[in-house]
Amino acid sequence: MAETQTKTIVVTRFDPDRDEAPRQQRYEVPVEPDWKILDALNYIKDEVDPTLSHRWSCRMAVCGSCGMNVNGEPKLTCKDPVTGYGDVIEVAPLANFPVIRDLVTEMEGFMERLQKVKPFILRAKELAVEAGPTRQSPAELDDYRQFSMCINCMLCYAACPVVANEPDFLGPAAIALGHRYNLDTRDQGQGERNEIFRDDGGIFSCSFANECSRVCPKHVDPAGAIQQAKLRNVIDWVTGLVRRREEGVR
Amino acid sequence: MSHARPRVDAMKSARPGPTRTAPPRPPDGFPGARASAVGAVPPGREKLRSYLAFGFGGFFLMSVSLLVLRAVWALGNGEAAWSRVQASLQNPIYVIFHALAFVWLSWFVLRLFRLFPATQPRRIGPLRRPPDAVLVGGLSAAFVGVTLALAAILSGALG
Repeated sequence: MAETQTKTIVVTRFDPDRDEAPRQQRYEVPVEPDWKILDALNYIKDEVDPTLSHRWSCRMAVCGSCGMNVNGEPKLTCKDPVTGYGDVIEVAPLANFPVIRDLVTEMEGFMERLQKVKPFILRAKELAVEAGPTRQSPAELDDYRQFSMCINCMLCYAACPVVANEPDFLGPAAIALGHRYNLDTRDQGQGERNEIFRDDGGIFSCSFANECSRVCPKHVDPAGAIQQAKLRNVIDWVTGLVRRREEGVR
Repeated sequence: MSHARPRVDAMKSARPGPTRTAPPRPPDGFPGARASAVGAVPPGREKLRSYLAFGFGGFFLMSVSLLVLRAVWALGNGEAAWSRVQASLQNPIYVIFHALAFVWLSWFVLRLFRLFPATQPRRIGPLRRPPDAVLVGGLSAAFVGVTLALAAILSGALG
């Protein structure tokens, strides 16, 4: 049986009431071989330093709360084993997000971006209840299912160089979510969403670094969603031009 | 330990909350970011470097495009102009430039082909998207074929 091993966890700390800027603090932690990074942080919180603040909930890579930068890589800490690292592990808050305290980042900017893409079914006319359920085939579900697996962990935002450069960029998760609804056969809001997509900070800000898809713990592939959205928007734009011209001729 | 890092303006809320926040940091490996506590080059830095180098490679694309435009212009201005363009392409600087451009183009297409399958919807018209290996293999084979055909034409082996 593998033995307990002592590792140094370097944690970024920030107290908004006392600290001018974030600083780093080292903790020696006796880690068990089956621990995840989150277990090490919880050990620090419970046994060493109760002032440490970090966000977590489900411990099973479903809630998306415990995203942090581990050795510079955005990771879900409840899914990331300590055995994958050396003797020193650096844990920092997610990059590209303002930090509220220690490892806790502010999510408000992210929520605003999610709302912008109208992440719900939009209908030109609501269906009457008497009409019964709107049916969807397994193949139609399969078209968007991958993009509906996002758990809003924000790792993609922490990895994206465009997010760092363009404050108005909608970002990977929001665009993937909007694209998910655009692919849904029950939805009729593609026109509205595509206008938002084509606006400043929309899909054409993405330069396809692919970092978002690389770090996504649920294999949503937001970079793929953005490129697909680009293609659909270009086709829509061109067909719109042709249609307008034809109407002009008539 | 100080944690001075370049600031970015990302992901700020339009309505700032009551709590004072520390500014966002750029992703590790961003130009100007400090070295990690775990080593000089944190994981992921190489990927961002290659991404930035990939973006810079647009320089080659633009330069080659200008050279093509110059060749087209020469074609429309008589045989003497065309001969001058051909003679100038014998210059070692042009030869080195084109060798570098070819290396970059190969890197560009290989990266693009690797990412290409994800950019395609699950259904293309009535058909399901082919397996990734088929798409990447087909595109790579087409690139190699076109490159060899162009090399044969330019060297005089064909035509």
